Amino acid sequence: MRQRSLIAITAALAAGALTLTACGSRGGDKGSDSGKGGTTVTIGVDAPLTGDLSALGLGIKNSADLAAKTANKKNYVKGVTFKIEARDDQAQPSAGQQNATALVADKNVLGVVGPLNSSVAESMQKVFDDAKLVEVSPANTGPSLTQGPDWRTKKVRTYKSYFRTATTDAIQGPFAAQYLYNDAKKKKVFVIDDKKTYGAGLAGTFTDEFKKLGGQIVGTEHINPDAKDFSAIATEVKKSGADVVYYGGEYPQAGPLSKQIKAAGSKIPLVGGDGIYDPTFIKLAGADSTGDLATSVGAPVESLPSAKQFVADYKAAGYKDEYAAYGGYSYDSAWAIIEAVKKVVDDNGGKLPSDARAKVTAAMQNVSFDGVTGKVSFDEFGDATNKQLTVYAVKNGAWAAEKSGTYTG
Amino acid sequence: MSGVGPVEPGEGTRASDTPGPDSASGGDPRLRPREALLSGLVSRYERHRRAALAATAAALLLAGGGYLYATRPHQLPPPAPEPAPPPPYPSQVVDVAYLEPAPAPRDAAPRSFGLTVLVSVSAGPPVTVTRISQPYAGLALTPEPLPPLRIAAGTARKIVITMRVTECGKVPESAGLPFLDVTLRNTRAIEVHSYILGSRYAHALSDGLHVACGNDFR
Repeated sequence: MRQRSLIAITAALAAGALTLTACGSRGGDKGSDSGKGGTTVTIGVDAPLTGDLSALGLGIKNSADLAAKTANKKNYVKGVTFKIEARDDQAQPSAGQQNATALVADKNVLGVVGPLNSSVAESMQKVFDDAKLVEVSPANTGPSLTQGPDWRTKKVRTYKSYFRTATTDAIQGPFAAQYLYNDAKKKKVFVIDDKKTYGAGLAGTFTDEFKKLGGQIVGTEHINPDAKDFSAIATEVKKSGADVVYYGGEYPQAGPLSKQIKAAGSKIPLVGGDGIYDPTFIKLAGADSTGDLATSVGAPVESLPSAKQFVADYKAAGYKDEYAAYGGYSYDSAWAIIEAVKKVVDDNGGKLPSDARAKVTAAMQNVSFDGVTGKVSFDEFGDATNKQLTVYAVKNGAWAAEKSGTYTG
Repeated sequence: MSGVGPVEPGEGTRASDTPGPDSASGGDPRLRPREALLSGLVSRYERHRRAALAATAAALLLAGGGYLYATRPHQLPPPAPEPAPPPPYPSQVVDVAYLEPAPAPRDAAPRSFGLTVLVSVSAGPPVTVTRISQPYAGLALTPEPLPPLRIAAGTARKIVITMRVTECGKVPESAGLPFLDVTLRNTRAIEVHSYILGSRYAHALSDGLHVACGNDFR
């Protein structure tokens, strides 16, 4: 029995030692403590997560998720843990509106990142505004969303809960026109659009400026967004004698359109906006897309040190999909919501007030921080104050930056 | 006490304490010294049982402590100082804003007019403006003061742009968002960046062109 006493003591000591060892190894992982908050705040995400535009939508979702995880890791808002609730709008306004209603019904949602499409945004704005739920789009470029339907003559903000980090087509279209007319020396353009809010709007602002500069519109056409056969339009383009095609729309149609125009014998570039600035466009358009152009919002990633950090963090996080054209803007949109929540919590003694949604929406107007895409803040219409644009060209099977501009007006 | 638990045997009551049949019968004489040694050790242990247990416990504690000490998380060497971030690209720290119309210089050619812009640098190393140009055919531009112009962070320089119409038929009568191309250089890079100066600049440019060309537009 004395041996049993020895065994018991030995076992107790061994157990103690193992326990202490285990504690020691856990203590080295300081990150495990982060994110323990008393309150969970949900950031809604609405984007096309399936369908033709999912490459852009998944980049939006993942980038917003990265912002939430970064805030949790840093314990950026004390007592608050952020999580993402992502909903698929399939680029359809009706689905977007349903998602908006569902997000409004979830009381933990204090802000929404999205959507991708301006037409979808139109269907969501009122739902969010009625609930005083702030919405920050990383990708909508339609001017009327912030400046009202008569933005050309009189700018009026319709929804105080709507903000965006991307710049507008009121700048993007003219920027493309200036580049094509002055730098690329194109004088005769054939303009095509997909009749949607974004595509038709962009084609409109481009056309106005191209004409003002002295350029000639040698033809216009509208396509069905579901179409894939553009051979009739390609023939028309060839007959028109255009030296460039401008397309207002998105890459699922722009890629085949470019391919079929070249196949019909017109070796002229197709030019579009941020909606075609995606590697998928090049895949769809094929080898003859070399020389095609796209304008996109923001400066090239390689010229922004903050964006390099984002790219590294995105890679380290192990997302399957690319962050795509709007990754940086999506991260900044989510981070703007996080900043607004932080302001509201700090002003309320470290807790969320009962009217948190209205207060977060009000706080968003004064948010200002150095984001992935540069300084992030909003003007009186909810538009980004940082208005940079870049022209990209297809070179060696990839998009390469040609020229960047900043709107300072 | 309720008597729960094993009852400790008394000295000499254990099987091992009792002389075995071999010892009773004398057995193999070669085993006797070993048995005697064992018996001595056991009886010594019995006499110093508490001390032996304490010593064993102390040894185990020391061993455990030593193990923990040896396997403690080692203090990491102080991280190497982060390399200084490279300076920003010049276009990320330069702002160009339109201020107001300016009188054309006295010695300016006919069909000339002036526009004042402000070039400011917000951060980083000094930025040198090496060239200012505009993209329209039929229009030539002269900045005053002439580049190169070195501008330090936190400062700004006013520059008067004198526009001279060389061919009215080639200038845009009313461009919506005209821009200036500015070549910028700092220790990081040389960049040609377009500055779209907004609607006030567009109107001023258009007004200047109308005065210069009258009805001679294409």
